[in-house]
Amino acid sequence: MTPISRRGVLLGAAALPLAGTALARPALAQTRYPVRPLQLICPWGAGGGTDATARIVASLLERELGQPVNVVNRTGGSGVVGHAAINASNPDGYTIGIITVEITMMHWQGLTPLTYADYTPLGLVNRDAPGVQVSASAPYKDIKALAEAIKAAPPGKLKASGTGQGGIWHLALVGWLQAMGLKPDHVRWVPSNGAAPGMQDLVAGGIDIVPCSIPEARAMLDAGRARSLAIMAPQRDPLFPDIPTLKESLGVEYQTAVWRGIGGPPKLPAEIAAKLTAALEKVAKSEQYAEFMKSRGFGMDWADGAGFGKVMAETDKAMGEAMRAAGLAKS
Amino acid sequence: MQLSDKVTGALLIALGGVTAYGASLQPGVPGQDVGPSVFPAVIGLGLMGCGAMIAFGVGHSFEAPDDTIPAEPGETVPRPPRFAEWRAFLAPLLLVLYVLVSETLGFLITAAICILVMTRALGGSWRLAVALALLGPVGLHLAFYELLRVPLPDGLLALPW
Amino acid sequence: MSDLIDGFIMVGQMDVLVAILLSAIYGLVVGSLPGLSATMATALLVPVTFYLSPIAAVATIISASAMAIFSGDIPGCLLRIPGTPASAAYTDEAYAMTRKGQAEMALGIGLWFSAIGGIVGTLSLMVMAPALAEVALNFSSFEYFWLAVLGLMCATLVARSSPVKAIASMLLGLLFSCIGMENPAGAPRFTFGMTDLLGGIEPLPALVGVFALSEVMRALATAEPPPLPRRKFGSILAGQWSLTRRFQWPMWRGNVVGIIIGVLPGAGADMAAWVSYALSKRFSKTPEKFGTGHPEGLVEAGASNNASLASGWVPALLFGIPGDTITAIAIGVLYMKGLNPGPTLFTERASSMYALYIIFILANIIMIPLGILMIRLATRVLRAPRASIMPVILMLCAMGAFATGNNLFAILLVGFFGVLGYIMERNGYPVAALVLGIVMGSMVEQSFVTSLIKSDNSLLPFFERPISAVLATITLAALLWPVAAWLIRRRRRAPRRPAPQGG
Repeated sequence: MTPISRRGVLLGAAALPLAGTALARPALAQTRYPVRPLQLICPWGAGGGTDATARIVASLLERELGQPVNVVNRTGGSGVVGHAAINASNPDGYTIGIITVEITMMHWQGLTPLTYADYTPLGLVNRDAPGVQVSASAPYKDIKALAEAIKAAPPGKLKASGTGQGGIWHLALVGWLQAMGLKPDHVRWVPSNGAAPGMQDLVAGGIDIVPCSIPEARAMLDAGRARSLAIMAPQRDPLFPDIPTLKESLGVEYQTAVWRGIGGPPKLPAEIAAKLTAALEKVAKSEQYAEFMKSRGFGMDWADGAGFGKVMAETDKAMGEAMRAAGLAKS
Repeated sequence: MQLSDKVTGALLIALGGVTAYGASLQPGVPGQDVGPSVFPAVIGLGLMGCGAMIAFGVGHSFEAPDDTIPAEPGETVPRPPRFAEWRAFLAPLLLVLYVLVSETLGFLITAAICILVMTRALGGSWRLAVALALLGPVGLHLAFYELLRVPLPDGLLALPW
Repeated sequence: MSDLIDGFIMVGQMDVLVAILLSAIYGLVVGSLPGLSATMATALLVPVTFYLSPIAAVATIISASAMAIFSGDIPGCLLRIPGTPASAAYTDEAYAMTRKGQAEMALGIGLWFSAIGGIVGTLSLMVMAPALAEVALNFSSFEYFWLAVLGLMCATLVARSSPVKAIASMLLGLLFSCIGMENPAGAPRFTFGMTDLLGGIEPLPALVGVFALSEVMRALATAEPPPLPRRKFGSILAGQWSLTRRFQWPMWRGNVVGIIIGVLPGAGADMAAWVSYALSKRFSKTPEKFGTGHPEGLVEAGASNNASLASGWVPALLFGIPGDTITAIAIGVLYMKGLNPGPTLFTERASSMYALYIIFILANIIMIPLGILMIRLATRVLRAPRASIMPVILMLCAMGAFATGNNLFAILLVGFFGVLGYIMERNGYPVAALVLGIVMGSMVEQSFVTSLIKSDNSLLPFFERPISAVLATITLAALLWPVAAWLIRRRRRAPRRPAPQGG
């Protein structure tokens, strides 16, 4: 992987004229921000969960800032292209983006030199912990029974799925197995294109466990085809209060989550960042936002810029450990 | 770009060989016995097999003859334009040009250039070419930028609305 | 019964009716532009649905996607530029009809049988949703593997070309599907260090390249053809009725195949059209007419892809599993509007379900008058000089590809595939087979590798599971039969005529 990709060069070339206009503009533009529409880059395609979150944040942010906020899907490269575009945008506060947990994973796999440190964190807006889902016809009554069955089974006998090889839910499984003192490949990972096909295969009897987030499993749970035995979070999810945490039911201290947050390019002026964070906090605590997140089953969470930065750093460290353990990390 | 079956067959054999070699360089993956190299390797071998068969003319008899209607006596067959084979590559070249300059010049100017060149190359009059180059980009901008919200670059020239 | 009446009342609201009409027009226009797909039409609607009532929101998605799938046939038929991968299977056939001066007829077939397919698909959704969903749930990666192989085999049946070249084209498509890291191992393959290639080759830029751009290239390389003979064409619908009677059996087969394939998550309308067109040719009394502007295959494939669109909603509504990219977007909208997918949707919120059914049927009915209007308008394109059409198509190719991810790299891909498609076409390699390979490639590999992981490297379950065994038998029979037939024919023919020389 070359450190300067062709796309980076293109983006650089694209940023030049923009930088020119920014220089030509008098410095007083800074005092009255924002004076023109903002762009919110979404590294994932239209119609998905991240896109939906980006769009609701954008429409509420628009009201706070008094300027249109346009969501722009910049897809490609499994999220790398969009994240690179956020990083390479002009730090004038008019281009921000939605950053997803993948930013803490991709650099370990050697897919991009970008890390979480290449962004100005503005605010965390969502966090979802994975549950441990099994088929409704599976014999495991609770997480204890499943844990014992896993320990008793020969390595590789039980199978789990829910995302691609080295994806977030694969790493959640690895982390959980390690926390129980087992080898990371004790339960074999079956790669799938996302959580929905994984849940389908779970119900079809092809696999044993799907450690995906609970909103992704919700339809099958509601249909009574699958059961969620535990959630890998510090406390129960208020939307799904019947699912116990790993700690209370198994005594295993392990937690992980996917999250989405808003970030900007590095060197974003502090006063602009502060203004955006304040607006985002209002958005995240608004009633409409709560209503939307509840309808999608997404986990509400809020952290300001510094807090979001801390979450990213912690996740990055945990992901690095899990990936090295599973033999997935390149660096 | 009409090439003989021997040439295209040989190209396929070469491509298949490179694919199979490239596949063999793929590292294994823990937990998967059928790694990322197997599928491309099978494709590479398949391409080599097909290439060989094509080069030797297997299956040639199945190809439908060119269904051009033979010219009636007295009817003049339109002659292909000069440098016909090379003119075709104008279209992809214009796309490359678009990729290179649209961010600097902006959508309207780049699109106008592309349309102007294309219309002239297809034998349209200057009047038609200029009219299309002026109206086309504006129409496309309306449809894509205004209605479909595709972020087209402004560059040097932005529409007033 | 009162649920049904409630359903009618819900659909009868003014805002719902207006939403259906406007999104239908929108879907027709977007779908008919070369380079813009039905999926894109749907995705771009999502922000609009924020401001609509739940039923109106779902209504926009349903009617826009149904219209866009039909109108994707329009550029395919008139200019040989398919609007969606689903119409790529029969584009050559429809274009051949256009060249015979039967453009309205070909488009009429697309319209009429799409509407029938859509309505039959909806009826199956109403009557058999839970039963169909069980079928879908019993499909595991073993079954998907055979299904994908069967799909790939359509490549040789669909093309009017040397089967060896068709297979070579398909393999080339499979090779492109290997690019990127969306493979079971999650390993970046053949990316040459380019970030843009990590996500792999999207089918849409490839489709636009090999069909649309290469058509523009051909226009540049050849002299302006004499204008097509202008024939007086009466009622578009009158002809359809006699076709319906003449090809009743293929039509029903298309509907049934479409429903079955549509229900299977991940297979979708693309595959339904390919399989149906191939089946139609295989079982036709006059297979030699296929590819020369014969309506039979269009009838079957047109019915099939819209039937699959409706039945694709079954796993989406019952289990939240997307049948294709369109229902994946729809599921998001359903959740957002509180119509959470699940069996309770069918019991506790039965009136909403009936409302959805009514919208489906309504959308397919208004498709006919709107579609006829669209056909009458669109066929004027045929009489416009090439110099004014092709430049605009070139720009549409660029815009459509760009809009899929707002990434300039997609435009370069269009350029690459345009050149590739142009060269392939000139040398007798069918480009439709290439597209099929790109669309189906990841499914073949994914299902094979995951199956082996699940079975601990045993090949037995590929033949042991009941549905898998049936599919395996069909696949092997279909694979061996042409080879056997070819050998027999060759042996019989050999003494009379020497084997053709290559070159």
